[in-house]
Amino acid sequence: MDPRKRILIIDDDPDYVDGIKAILTKADYEVEVAYNPKDGFKALESKSFDLLLLDIMMGRGAEGVMVARKINKDPELRKIPVLIITGIREQMAFLFPGQPVHPRFLPTDELLEKPVEPDLLLEKVSALLEMAKEKTV
Amino acid sequence: MKKYAYFPGCSLEKMALSYHKSSLETTRVLGVELEELEDWNCCGATTYFHLDEILANTLVARNLAIAEKQGLDFVAPCSACYKNAYFTNTYMKEDADLAEHINYALEADDLQLSGDLNVHHLIDVFANEVGPEEIKKKVTNPLKELRIAPYYGCQIVRPRKNGENVEDPQFFEELIRAMGANPIDFAYKTRCCGGSLLLTNRPAALDMIRHLLQNAQNSGADVIATACPLCQVNLEAYQTQVNEEFGTDFSTPVLYFTQLMGLALGIAPKKLGIGSELVSTLPVLSQFLKKEAR
Amino acid sequence: MADKPTFSQEISNLMYAAHGSPLNECIQCGTCSGSCPAVEFMDQTPRRLIGMINADLKEDVIDTNTYWVCASCYQCTVRCPSRIDIAGAMYAVKRYSMWNKTYADDLVGPVFSETFMKTIARSGRSYEPILAPTYIFGFGAKEFFQEVQGATKMMLKGRIPVLPPRIKRLKNFQNMIKRIIPMGDEE
Repeated sequence: MDPRKRILIIDDDPDYVDGIKAILTKADYEVEVAYNPKDGFKALESKSFDLLLLDIMMGRGAEGVMVARKINKDPELRKIPVLIITGIREQMAFLFPGQPVHPRFLPTDELLEKPVEPDLLLEKVSALLEMAKEKTV
Repeated sequence: MKKYAYFPGCSLEKMALSYHKSSLETTRVLGVELEELEDWNCCGATTYFHLDEILANTLVARNLAIAEKQGLDFVAPCSACYKNAYFTNTYMKEDADLAEHINYALEADDLQLSGDLNVHHLIDVFANEVGPEEIKKKVTNPLKELRIAPYYGCQIVRPRKNGENVEDPQFFEELIRAMGANPIDFAYKTRCCGGSLLLTNRPAALDMIRHLLQNAQNSGADVIATACPLCQVNLEAYQTQVNEEFGTDFSTPVLYFTQLMGLALGIAPKKLGIGSELVSTLPVLSQFLKKEAR
Repeated sequence: MADKPTFSQEISNLMYAAHGSPLNECIQCGTCSGSCPAVEFMDQTPRRLIGMINADLKEDVIDTNTYWVCASCYQCTVRCPSRIDIAGAMYAVKRYSMWNKTYADDLVGPVFSETFMKTIARSGRSYEPILAPTYIFGFGAKEFFQEVQGATKMMLKGRIPVLPPRIKRLKNFQNMIKRIIPMGDEE
C-alpha cells in the first residue's frame, strides 16, 4: 500500500474548503489548505504534494490562472497534477454570458465547476494521481 | 520640444471635448507635444476595480505598453485614468509575478510593458514639467482679478504617491497665479465631487456637489477650475438639479484649467471649446474673450 | 497548516499585496468616518464597518450599503494613522459581495459595474448612452427625468456621442482579456 497521498487546496472560500477537505480526509488523503495564492505558492515550495486543487477567482482577481502558469514554468512543480475547481462561470457570467470556461487557456490537467459532487471529485482525484504515477514510472 | 504619449480617455472623445481641444492648444503654445496614444482602450475608470483588479491592471497596462512602444512618457488628463495608470505602472515594477502574467496577456496584442516610463497627470505637465515661471512668460492676456477656485478633486492627489502634500497642495494655485488670476482660498479643494455615485447613488452625489458649490460660492469664486472630466460634469451639468433639490441658486461656471490657461495665453475662445458650457461663462469671462487671438 | 481564516483575513486576502491582516490594526479612532464626504448616506460609518469586519459579522457587513456608497476618494486612506487602505478595503468588500452574489437586488452599483465592464469587453471603450438605459431602471421616476433632462442638454451642446466608439485591434484586445479570464469563444 502506498503512503497516504498529500493534497494541497488553494481556495479563498473557507466554507467551501471545509466541505472538500472533509470529503478528501474521509477518503484517507492528507490535506493541507492555503487560503490565498501567496501562502499557496509558499506551501508548494516548502513541501511536496501529490496533487493540487486550485480555485481561480481569488485575491485581486483570477489569481488561480497566475498560480497555474507559474507552476507550469517550474521544472519541479509542473510534475504535480493540477485540478481546477472553480465557480468562475457564475462569478463572471455577466462578462461572458452563457460562454464556457476554457481549459485550453490554462496549463492544468482537469477542470471541475462548483458545486462538485463528492463522487466525481474523488474519481477525478484518484484518476489524476494514477496518471501522475504512470508518468513517473 | 518635450513630447508625451497622450491618453485622452473615453470622456474626452465627446463629453469633455473642450478639455481635449484646450489641452492640445495650450500645450502647443507652451512647446509641449501631445501625441495621442495609438488605438488606446478604456482604462476601467473607477468602476471596474471592484471585480477584478488583475484584469483592470491589464486594461491599463495595454495603454502604458503602447506609450512605451512610442518611446514616450504617459500623460492622462482625467484623474481616474491617471490614478489607474500610475498605480498599475507601480505594481508592474514591484510585483514580478503580476508583471510576467500581464505581459503574457499583452502578447496577444504584440505588446510588452517594462514599466520604465513615467506617468503624469496633465496638470503635472503644466505645474512641474513646464512650470509656472515659463507659463508666465507666455501669458499675453492675464486674467486680472478673476477669482478662480482651484478644484483638485480626489484622485490627482490621492492615494498618496510620493510623500507629496495631500492635505493642502499648492501647485494649482501657482498655475492660477501664472495666468495672472487670483486663486481663492478654497477649503474644499480636495473634497470629492461624488464621482460615479451620481449614477449609483444620486442623493449622495447631489449632496456632495452642493457642499462644493456652496463652499466655492462662500469663498467668492467667479469660476471653478477643474482638472478632471468627471468633476467638471458633476459640478456643472448637475447645478440645476442641485438647485431644484436644495432650493439654492448656484450658477457658477466650471471650466477646465486648460481653458482658462488658454485664454491667458491668448488663444481664441472657440479653439478652447469655450461656448459649450451649460452654465454660461459670459458674465465672468466677457472681458477676457478676445476673438483675434493666436 | 493554515487555520480557517476570519472574515477580516478573508477581506485582507482580497486586497493588493495583503500581508497578514492590516484591518486588524484598526484602532477605531474614527478619522475615516470624520473625513468621509459620503458618510451621511451610509447605514454604517467606515469606522463601524471595519469594527464589524474585525468582529467577524460577515452577514451584517454585506448587508450594509457602506461599501457601495464609497466614492473611492481615498480621503480615509491617506489619513488613517494605522495605514489601512480603507478605500481599498471597500473595493475588497464589493468584490467579495459580487463574487458571492450576496448584494441586494435593488442596488444600482453592481449593475452599473457589470454593464460598464461588458461594454469595455465588447468594444474596448466605454460609452455613456449604452450604459444609461441598463442602470437607469434602478432609478425612481424623478431621477429618471433628471437623467433624461441632463442627457438632452448635453446632446444639444454636442457633448454626447452618437455612435459608440470601438478600438481597431478589438480581436487582439479580446484575446488579451481571455488570457486573464479564461472564458469565452476560441481564439
